[in-house]
Amino acid sequence: MATLAAAPPYTESHTEPSNSGIWSWLTTVDHKRIGVLYLISALFFFVFGGLEAGLLRAQLATPNGTILSADLYNQMFTMHGTTMIFLAVMPLSAAFFNLLIPLQIGARDVAFPRLNAFSYWVFLLGALFITFPIFFQIAPDGGWFGYAPLSTKAYSPAINMDFWVLGLQILGISSLAAGFNFITTIINMRAPGMTLMRMPIFTWASFVVQFLVVLAFPVITIALVFLQFDRFFGTNFYTIAKGADPLLWQHLFWVFGHPEVYILILPAFGLVSEVLPTFSRKPLFGYPVMVYSTILIGFLGFGVWAHHMFSVGMGAIADAVFALTTMLIAVPTGVKIFNWIATLWGGQIRFTVAMKFAIALVGMFTVGGISGVMHSSPPADLQQTDTYFVVAHFHYVLVGGSMFGLFAGLYYYFPKFTGRMMSEKLGNWHFWVFLLGMNLTFFPMHFSGLLGMPRRIYQYDSGQGLELFNMLSSVGYVIQAIGVLFGVINMWMSWRSGARASSNPWGAPTLEWTIPSPPPEYNFAEIPTVKSRYPLWNVKGGDTLVHETTWEEEKNTRIPTSRELGIVMPNPSIWPLITAAGIICMFAGLLFLESSTMLGVGITLTGALWWIGALYKWLLTPLEDHH
Amino acid sequence: MVGTFRPRRLVAVALLGALALGLAACGETYPNSTFNPNTEYNAAIDALWDRLLFLGTAVFVVVEVALVYTIFRYRRRPDGGIPKQVHGNTALEIAWTAIPAVILIFVAIPTVRTIFKTQAKAAPDALQVEVIGHQWWWEFKYPQYGITTANELYLPNGRTVNFQLKTFDVLHSFWIPQLGGKRDLISNRTNFLWFTPNKDLPSSAWNGFCAEFCGPSHANMKFRVYTVSPDEFDQWQKHQARPAVFPLASPDSTASAVAPAPTGAGSAPVLQVAAAQRDTALLTATPATATPATATPASATPVSATPVAYTFPMERIEREFPHVIPKTPIPVGLKFDESTLPNGDPTRGMQIYSRSSCIGCHVVSGNRMSMGNIGPSLTHIGARHTIAGGLYPNDAKHLAYWLKNAPHMKPGSIMPTLGKGETDPKTKMVMNVGALTDAEISDIVAYLLALK
Repeated sequence: MATLAAAPPYTESHTEPSNSGIWSWLTTVDHKRIGVLYLISALFFFVFGGLEAGLLRAQLATPNGTILSADLYNQMFTMHGTTMIFLAVMPLSAAFFNLLIPLQIGARDVAFPRLNAFSYWVFLLGALFITFPIFFQIAPDGGWFGYAPLSTKAYSPAINMDFWVLGLQILGISSLAAGFNFITTIINMRAPGMTLMRMPIFTWASFVVQFLVVLAFPVITIALVFLQFDRFFGTNFYTIAKGADPLLWQHLFWVFGHPEVYILILPAFGLVSEVLPTFSRKPLFGYPVMVYSTILIGFLGFGVWAHHMFSVGMGAIADAVFALTTMLIAVPTGVKIFNWIATLWGGQIRFTVAMKFAIALVGMFTVGGISGVMHSSPPADLQQTDTYFVVAHFHYVLVGGSMFGLFAGLYYYFPKFTGRMMSEKLGNWHFWVFLLGMNLTFFPMHFSGLLGMPRRIYQYDSGQGLELFNMLSSVGYVIQAIGVLFGVINMWMSWRSGARASSNPWGAPTLEWTIPSPPPEYNFAEIPTVKSRYPLWNVKGGDTLVHETTWEEEKNTRIPTSRELGIVMPNPSIWPLITAAGIICMFAGLLFLESSTMLGVGITLTGALWWIGALYKWLLTPLEDHH
Repeated sequence: MVGTFRPRRLVAVALLGALALGLAACGETYPNSTFNPNTEYNAAIDALWDRLLFLGTAVFVVVEVALVYTIFRYRRRPDGGIPKQVHGNTALEIAWTAIPAVILIFVAIPTVRTIFKTQAKAAPDALQVEVIGHQWWWEFKYPQYGITTANELYLPNGRTVNFQLKTFDVLHSFWIPQLGGKRDLISNRTNFLWFTPNKDLPSSAWNGFCAEFCGPSHANMKFRVYTVSPDEFDQWQKHQARPAVFPLASPDSTASAVAPAPTGAGSAPVLQVAAAQRDTALLTATPATATPATATPASATPVSATPVAYTFPMERIEREFPHVIPKTPIPVGLKFDESTLPNGDPTRGMQIYSRSSCIGCHVVSGNRMSMGNIGPSLTHIGARHTIAGGLYPNDAKHLAYWLKNAPHMKPGSIMPTLGKGETDPKTKMVMNVGALTDAEISDIVAYLLALK
């Protein structure tokens, strides 16, 4: 624990990393800067995935739409799902893991700072790898779920699905590396006194999510490796002509796919559980139950996967079992909803934009949760599955749940990481317009689904009673897009010229609000000792109100550099990026196998040597200078 | 004042507008609604759904009212001070863990019951129908009656039908929203699904869909279902079991006349001689079939000595079930000289058909040249109301465009481009050698429509 008093002597070899210029971003190992990189990349892909959705809604606005061909429509819906899940919501969550976890637990960085940079670069390069084919109209077209045998070479002979098979493996590497990193960080690097049950609830949610990641991603990796070997090397895991059982893919995919749903929603739950107490000026109601329910949801999440498969004919017993486990998981989820409302109850509620998004999550996620219970009942689900009813359901969960929670987190934590407040006025436009557009888009889909509209169709006939609902959904999309535009403008303008933020503009209770905004590179000049769940509210010691701090009070405080404090921070390194690029090269080589074996093998081997060499160089470079 | 215009008000106005539109929508008809208990299967699902909707709405109202009330009542007041720091309440938390659990028991019990009821074995005397999914059309076989047909199902009211679901290629899902839940078609497996159209159901027409994503034309893999009276079904199945009635009077003579005893290269002249002989017979017997574009089931009857063929009457479809008539527009850019259609000659059509690539993929029972089994059976295609997996209505015009350039009419279709000068959308090759002129296509159209 370095403090001012015990500062070691300044050493020549220690170089203060420069904080500007592209090179500093390419080499950064600072979890906050990596978090910002994740945030910007993920928001870019969120907008990109939204534009893909725009094309889908334009096509479906009227019967027999002709804006997209069948082939392009299939590419668009595949990429919309893949983009939103893997390139927008997951990395947005990752942005918050990076930005918040070390601050919330009172640490100076994550356990493995360079591995953290590596995770980001693999994500970014993998995301570009899977996205760029759309500009050449050769994007993946087999759905984000990639069901075999449609995704096998026999039925998808073109290069499209190759990008998907390889791209998802690349993204999996990123998620797994980050998962192990954060588990290690949370277990080992908590400040003194921060017992597990004093951990901020967002960190708890993240902790559970990392276990879901490291347990679920290997399963889809196996499924993808099988498919990759089928497609590139002629194996027969999914070759139906050789007697393969296509349900192998479905089981593997959904054993990953359902925990993935919780990977997408639990971080948002965590963020909302931070926002609601702050703006109610009350502790989270039933903190232990919230923790246990998160763990329980994570655990049960691995036992419900086959509810995605009620229509495949697993038999009455399997259907009944998975129906019951699915209904069971609604219980801990319901507890969360009631505990959130109880947190608000009796509070002094301040309706900031962050708070509005958080409250809206409670309201909107409930809609998605209820429709979820509706298709937990297999006979009912057999009328609902693969229709727009399901599309309505999971958009209420992922937009009304995940995105509202992430927006709440964005408005809440933006001042902490930029030192600027976001505009409440623009934020209000963002919130209300988006809320309206979201409901107008997705609520009518309940009807179009139950009235007989299958999913993933690029055209529907007129006279089927579907015109009005589809038109409403498309108009709703435009409204949503305008809402997001308000949000993007707000971010951009606030980042450049928003009001200056103090260390604790909201009067919030947790550790991250004790340090300056934006935090110095080393986060905490002195590692704090934690005595309660809400250190700043000091709730155990009585009801002393900690007012939010103001910029005026703080602007003359000088923030010392790490050198002055004698805190040794990890050196920047380019090797994580170079290693990541080598891995992409290795995977990309396989794309050339079919046109030229020599070329494909050559590129793959080059990539392998490249990343192994870069990894050696990385491992042989010390993390920090001697002191 | 712009300054006082708040986004919240905009939302309130817009929500009212949406509500009004939603109410307006209630007046419409929904031909593919999942809520109609036309079978015992759908009635069981519907009973479950009613319960789910009731409980779901109750939970929704309770939660949203509690939420809105709370945020309204506890909004910050100037003199608020610090609220009481409540950390939790064990009794309350146990209560709202237990109450949802109890509610779920009321869902779980009927759910499990319905699962076992609907997935029990079908009645032993059930009508057996084998459903085989293809990219992107449906093959239907009635093994008890020796019938193979495509894209149009006939089911007798009051009799349980047991579907055996299989796929030729990728996964599909068999779904008739008005008659029951869906069931997937899984490669290398056989799935089952059964239901009984209500005994007192009037003869009706329904839409069926593929509900599992299966490639480019997933949207275009539809089918029609006709639930008819047992008598009508009986007439239909008797007729379907016979070879096509074109062109000679009885099935026996059809078989012998059309059979050119294919013996390699020498068969072509034989066929032409046989066909030339038949030309006279046909044309004198039934001049009506020479204008097949206007042919109706009734006009086909004179050619045949077989019993009256039952086809779900087009007049009733137009009057009562217009939603089962496909309205897909013909793609822009596809040209066909429609003036050749009235001159289409079924006999010439049969000759052209029988020496073209058609026979490699399609079967016409009664035409021994036509033995392919890749595409749908065309045996009684003239008696169907739709073509191309339910994508287009079965009339001379649509059939002609379809024959001219099927992959253009239906993305991904493996039926090749046949029209002269047409470009295959996939290979980008222009068809010339062996390709068909518009006049030849009109002849084939006349032949196919005569296959009642």
